Amino acid sequence: MASRSSSRAVHAFNRAFEQTSQRPLSKRQETASITALTIRCSSTASQSSAHSQSSVDPSEVSHFNNLAESWWDPHGPSRLLHLMNPLRHTFISRCLSTPFRSPLPQKLQYLDVGCGGGIFAESAARLPSTKSVTAIDPTPEVLKIAEAHRKRDPTLLQPGRLTYLNKSIEELSIPGAEKAKYDVVSLFEVLEHVSTPSSFLEQLMQHVKPGGWLVLSTIARTWTSWMVTNVMAEDVFGIVPKGTHEWSKYVNEEELREWFVKKGWGSDGGMKVMGVVYVPGMGWKEVPGGEGWGNYFFGVRKSA
Amino acid sequence: MSPRLPLRVQWARSSLPRRFASSSATSPEIYDVVCVGGGPAGLSLLTGLRASAVTSNLKIALIEGQDLQKNRLPQDAQLDRFSNRCSSLTPASVKNLQEIGAWSHANIARIQPYQEMQVWDGVSDARISFDWDSARSMLFPRKPTQPTTIAYMIENVNTTTTLLDRLTELGGVDILSSTKVDTIELGQNTEELDLSSWPILTLSNGRTLAARLLVGADGANSPVRTFAGIPSRGFDYNRHGVVATLRLEGPGRGGLDHKIAYQRFLPTGPIAMLPLPGNLSSLVWSTTPDRATKLKSLSPPDFSAMINAGFRLSPTDLDYLHTLPSGQADEIAWREKHMQVNESSLPMKVIDIQPGTVASFPLKMRHADTYTGDRVALVGDAAHTIHPLAGQGLNQGQGDAAALARTIKSAVETGQDIGSLLALEQYNSERYAENNAMLGVCDKLHRLYSIESGPIVGLRSFGLRAVDSLSPLKSFFMGRAAGV
Repeated sequence: MASRSSSRAVHAFNRAFEQTSQRPLSKRQETASITALTIRCSSTASQSSAHSQSSVDPSEVSHFNNLAESWWDPHGPSRLLHLMNPLRHTFISRCLSTPFRSPLPQKLQYLDVGCGGGIFAESAARLPSTKSVTAIDPTPEVLKIAEAHRKRDPTLLQPGRLTYLNKSIEELSIPGAEKAKYDVVSLFEVLEHVSTPSSFLEQLMQHVKPGGWLVLSTIARTWTSWMVTNVMAEDVFGIVPKGTHEWSKYVNEEELREWFVKKGWGSDGGMKVMGVVYVPGMGWKEVPGGEGWGNYFFGVRKSA
Repeated sequence: MSPRLPLRVQWARSSLPRRFASSSATSPEIYDVVCVGGGPAGLSLLTGLRASAVTSNLKIALIEGQDLQKNRLPQDAQLDRFSNRCSSLTPASVKNLQEIGAWSHANIARIQPYQEMQVWDGVSDARISFDWDSARSMLFPRKPTQPTTIAYMIENVNTTTTLLDRLTELGGVDILSSTKVDTIELGQNTEELDLSSWPILTLSNGRTLAARLLVGADGANSPVRTFAGIPSRGFDYNRHGVVATLRLEGPGRGGLDHKIAYQRFLPTGPIAMLPLPGNLSSLVWSTTPDRATKLKSLSPPDFSAMINAGFRLSPTDLDYLHTLPSGQADEIAWREKHMQVNESSLPMKVIDIQPGTVASFPLKMRHADTYTGDRVALVGDAAHTIHPLAGQGLNQGQGDAAALARTIKSAVETGQDIGSLLALEQYNSERYAENNAMLGVCDKLHRLYSIESGPIVGLRSFGLRAVDSLSPLKSFFMGRAAGV
């Protein structure tokens, strides 16, 4: 099936290039993940250079340059992610345009979790409606790429506009005051790589301002496998009758929805979904119902 | 993409103090859009960007070598004198000008809509006529609300003045008029800022600008295109377009309210007469360089007679008339006594030529390999030069401007860097195929009608007559010409 194979391809790209490192990685895992990134991103770079910790090692510099170039090359391996990026904004706009009694401020504060090379973070920071973007990723190498690319745009260098932090979500301190939290917390093409999605999402939720949105994109099939192995057992157990294995193969956006409802999020229409599919030659297209079998966006609002 | 070359623009004036080659000596002024060239395409793009709320925050500069104020159409321009550089604006172009709020600034008295087009073969006399009534079938007659105008004849200076007025009204663009571009080079990567992908322009007034997006609206020999390393391919037709503003014996066969454009395909190229207000008309006669020189050297009465002959006499007669050193008017008057022509299907006779309007320019076909590079976009003649026989050159530029404005708008809405190749992709894919098709059609028409005898003449005549008798097909062709 064409749609499935294209979804798979996207997933492979996502895994390799956008967010390698959102899971709370052990040191060993992280190194392995970066090595995978090296192999995929830059066939010319020496593999061993990824293990080098010295920032002045010439081979690492050259490796980093190769990596940086391919990350932002519009015809490089990240092309599908670049093409998807405008849709992220389309989806966020759709979430934010839903009317609620307590509106968000005119200028929004974003937290982008697993920012990678900064494809989304940069674009969010350029929007006139943005006050600030904080973008985090625990992998130092990809943050270097993001920092270097940010230097190419004077707009992004305005103080406070875009801040990269080499942190995992666990390391990011949770603001004491609700007001100091974020209007939009984004998690794009990350969830499918997280080993314990439920606790990971719970971490994220603590950074969302009341009335703010948690927005993510992922892929139904991959989410399925994580749900089945992790969340299903822990959280969805009470909702889904035990032993419905045939059905559990197709766990999708519905489970996410039910999980959030259980958490008390997304009531009164504060939950949005958008299925998308990549059509060669045409780019990403919205497909109603696509969330059931392919890539999809999911947004959920924290009650004010 | 081919590597970009530092560009040393030839026109850099040697009297100016020599400037540092490196732009790092002074930090450049940062702009979102720098447009080189204040012609109809460049002005239309910038007006479009300023007119939209989404793109109104962009910092924009326009650089034009000529004095834009001096080249404006005077408010009190006399209606009996018209520029020889006119274009046939399609309804699609007019619609865009309306949308960006420019059309209301136009000097309407100097614009002539036309409702009918007569096109025929100079060898076989096969003819096709276009008007919206005959293009509809009997079953579906034209509704009164539907347009009757095929296109609008407008002086290019009227178009640019219209756009400049609207742009001035909108404000917010740094207009650097009478300013030349000395060099374009890539910027530097410093500790704080990496401008290594940004074109840095050094100007004749000493300023240096860094462009997030550099727009080449700088004509057929586009220095911006050269900087971007984008090749432009094509050929010269070995033809010149002779232009002039003509005075006719009357307002035209259909009167002042039903103006008609005429085009006759001759083996040397088409001769076209396009209506202007009152008794005036605009001539575009594509012919060989030798004949163009000859026509320009004739006295006004002889040239007028030659234009009348160009629509009436046979190619053989015309060949002979071009060999005469002078006296064409007498010769043609004598010949016309001895032949029958159906004057009702021909343009009214030329009685005079407006002094100073006879000119010619070489016809070329050029198409850039792509319209976009990293932080570069080409519009108008910088991207493509077309055979003028369908009058599509200016319209293509307007279409480019509208499409690029749309592309920039959607890039801003989604936070993309408007200079990135990725953001510009939509513009290139939208315009390239469209323009390429139009270039191809006009080129093939030129070649088809260059043939004087043999089976092709019969076939093309059959083609014209067939199209003429088929309303839906005609409607399709008219739609293409009108850009709707």
